[in-house]
Amino acid sequence: HITNSTPPNTSKVYSYFECREKRTDPTKSRKVKYDKTVFYGLQYILNKYLKGKVVTPEKIQEAKEVYREHFQDDVFNEKGWTYILEKYDGHLPIEIKAVPEGSVIPRGNVLFTVESTDPECYWLTNWVETILVQIWYPITVATNSREQKKILAKYLQETSGNLEGLAYKLHDFGYRGVSSQETAGIGASAHLVNFKGTDTVAGIGVIKKYYGTKDPVPGFSVPAAEHSTITAWGKDHEKDAFEHIIKQFPNVPVSIVSDSYDIYNACEKIWGEDLRSLIVARSADAPLVIRPDSGNPLDTVLKVLEILGKKFPPVENSKGYKVLPPYIRVIQGDGVDINTLQEIVEGMKQHKWSIENISFGSGGALLQKLTRDLLNCSFKCSYVVTNGLGVNVFKDPVADPNKRSKKGRLSLHRTQSGDFVTLEEGKGDLEQYGVDLLHTVFLNGKIVKTYTFDEVRDNAQLKESELNVLLD
Amino acid sequence: SECLLKRFLPITHYKQYPPNVSKIYSYFECRRKKASQFSEVVFFGLQYLLKKYLIGQVVTEEKIQEAKLFYQMHFRQTVFDEESWRKILEKHDGRLPIRIKAVPEGRIIPRGNVLFTVENTDPEFYWLTNYIETMLVQMWYPITVATISREFKKILAKHLKATSGSLEGLDLKLHDFGYRGVSSQESAALGGAAHLVNFCSTDTVAGLLMAQRYYGCPMAGFSIPAAEHSTIISWGRGREKEAFERVLDQFSSGPVSVVSDSYDIFNACKHIWGDKLKERVMERSQDSCLVIRPDSGDPAETLIEVIKILEECFGCSLNSMGYKVLPSYLRIIQGDGIDLCSVDEILQKLSDEGWSAENIFFGCGSALLQKLNRDTLNCAFKCSYVETNGKGMDVYKQPVTDPTKGSKRGQLSLRRNSDGCLETIERGAGKPEEDLLVTVFENGSLVQDYSLEEIRKNARLQDEEVPTLHNREQEPLHIINGIH
Repeated sequence: HITNSTPPNTSKVYSYFECREKRTDPTKSRKVKYDKTVFYGLQYILNKYLKGKVVTPEKIQEAKEVYREHFQDDVFNEKGWTYILEKYDGHLPIEIKAVPEGSVIPRGNVLFTVESTDPECYWLTNWVETILVQIWYPITVATNSREQKKILAKYLQETSGNLEGLAYKLHDFGYRGVSSQETAGIGASAHLVNFKGTDTVAGIGVIKKYYGTKDPVPGFSVPAAEHSTITAWGKDHEKDAFEHIIKQFPNVPVSIVSDSYDIYNACEKIWGEDLRSLIVARSADAPLVIRPDSGNPLDTVLKVLEILGKKFPPVENSKGYKVLPPYIRVIQGDGVDINTLQEIVEGMKQHKWSIENISFGSGGALLQKLTRDLLNCSFKCSYVVTNGLGVNVFKDPVADPNKRSKKGRLSLHRTQSGDFVTLEEGKGDLEQYGVDLLHTVFLNGKIVKTYTFDEVRDNAQLKESELNVLLD
Repeated sequence: SECLLKRFLPITHYKQYPPNVSKIYSYFECRRKKASQFSEVVFFGLQYLLKKYLIGQVVTEEKIQEAKLFYQMHFRQTVFDEESWRKILEKHDGRLPIRIKAVPEGRIIPRGNVLFTVENTDPEFYWLTNYIETMLVQMWYPITVATISREFKKILAKHLKATSGSLEGLDLKLHDFGYRGVSSQESAALGGAAHLVNFCSTDTVAGLLMAQRYYGCPMAGFSIPAAEHSTIISWGRGREKEAFERVLDQFSSGPVSVVSDSYDIFNACKHIWGDKLKERVMERSQDSCLVIRPDSGDPAETLIEVIKILEECFGCSLNSMGYKVLPSYLRIIQGDGIDLCSVDEILQKLSDEGWSAENIFFGCGSALLQKLNRDTLNCAFKCSYVETNGKGMDVYKQPVTDPTKGSKRGQLSLRRNSDGCLETIERGAGKPEEDLLVTVFENGSLVQDYSLEEIRKNARLQDEEVPTLHNREQEPLHIINGIH
């Protein structure tokens, strides 16, 4: 909100966004590297907050009053906003260029740039910063979700020979664990870039409204019990609860949480004996999916599989791993994050269980336990025009080289070997570097390029080369 | 606002309860967890959810149709109970037949106690209680932000009292810098408002608007103009002094914060603020002080070096407790790397070097508004009582694999016992006249409307929460009195 402190006669401010690279101390190695990020979520922000007429006389008045009280001083730039209202009918004279949504780009590259298009509105670039930086969230959810997809793909391929059902292996359980309804919608949609299973239906609304898909809906779920629908029957009636629920949903998969009192007893006695005949009658399209929800995730999963394996003998698949009969499966939805996911699939593999047996649900770790620091998302000014002269600007704090920012006008290119490179200081203008991968998506209040969710999913797909690296 | 009917998966649960269920009663708590650093919580945020999503007519025919279609596609089968929702429309004019009782907002409650309860008021709509669970569980967020913010306040109070003798200015000591680091605008508003339960300083404007709209507070927080990196670096590398000077000129009548680490924080403090612009700085008053902002490097070390440089250039004085204070026209704000741990370390180091906490303000971003989750305070919503065939039954979960996940049983109330401690009475054994839970929502209407002013009063620090640090004068007294 400090509009008057740029040099006098500034006529343009140009800023950019990246997920900075972090050269970490090798002794502090993180388990997960996040070398590349999925670019996603800009279209939501542009549509919801920046396009069209965002300035009205009423809003100017309201803001003026709020800011006067808040700062106990007249700092609100009424003149600047009135100018936008009058000259542009309240549309923002800004240009935003970005990589296509869904693109998977290595850290340390420019992902989008923002510049003012009217010399009087040079200050607007940094006014939109706070709202645009919130793109860290959909980028981070989509990236973390995709890294988990790689783990699941590797182990699924190794233990079964194919990737069937991969899109349903990690289910979004995050609705109750996010900080608001709006966050739920954004985060859930970001997970659906990589997967198709979600209980956070708000995400579907976001996708339909801001991106669009060719299919009627981009995400699916199955009927599921929760503790209240089991405990409401009373402690001694867990079997009655299970029986009632499984009979309510004969033709679709049904997930039934089984740890209200004793997961192992439920698996062995109730599912494994009392209700066994109901289960074996179910088709492969409508399995019973047993859900543990407490205890150490890996230990619980292995013990549950062992018990189920005794009651419902598995077969060995073409890769030599055990698979339970098709009418029974397991979903682990407690304590699942990228690290425990790796531990569980590795543990299952060591015990010769195929990943076909299991799917995962993740809540807080998928949609909430993330911060802007995970991928070092940052928005910085890199170029200004003052007194008609363009100047490359940057920060370079002596105490932290990781916080250095890029200089000048930026563009993103592919080298001959297929790598990505960001050119600084306007070098991308030179023909020899080929086409700039940043496209104008927003210009003077209008959205000029959009991506459908199908395109986003396409761009974010796991590549053959990535799978080969994983399986080596 | 978006359709309540299309939000939630518990859409299939109505088919799963026992036949002839007529009441489902559930509750919310922050479960107790051994070795947690948070032993009590600030209850805040329910009024926002009620006003925004639950009061008035939430069911219409249009919404029923939309939801029906939506769920058909999402589940690839018919699970939506159209008839039941239509009955709410016909029988109750689309208003939710639900009762919610809760602890008054702003109250400080020990972990492991009931914070609010939810039950259906019409036997036909037993399934509604857990339908709205997913939304109500999001209470974890404003509760957790308000709690963490208050923990910061305790730490700041401790050091401020010890090094200056008073708590003046405490509520401006922690500035909310979290807007850009939070996951959405709505979270910014809710988290921002939760911080304002304890403090008055914020850059998260959405929080102010939330406090205004939902908690009746016209202006809940304040800020000061602040330069950020772009306004400094846009002058070019060799012109940091001109950039600084411009900020001082533009904001001459009130406090102003200037980020000073774009290139070299120590050089900026020693040669620009402390030399080239020294007179300009000294011209300013306490009401228009310069607040220097470092933003990189190890927070404690950087601060010590910065404050030493400023001492050399501007001098300092001793306060009544014998600690050093910079001239009143000069202060520092540390807004990088701040969390509960680092703020305590920094203030301890400063105090060890003889510096008062009056010299410094803090800004906190993600540690305040984003780096937290439902597990931070183990927030949970569980069913504890049902009525079936006219008979009431206490229900609960008690997983053998995790005793800490056990839930409470029966109808619950919260009371203060004879020792003055808060406790939850289970199994409907509580006396209604002792119950501290208050009906806040009933059949579509808001029954209580708390203002931020009341909430702030409820949440203020008590005298016993601001311990006096041991110092040499105090210790002998303790031994003499036999207290040790």
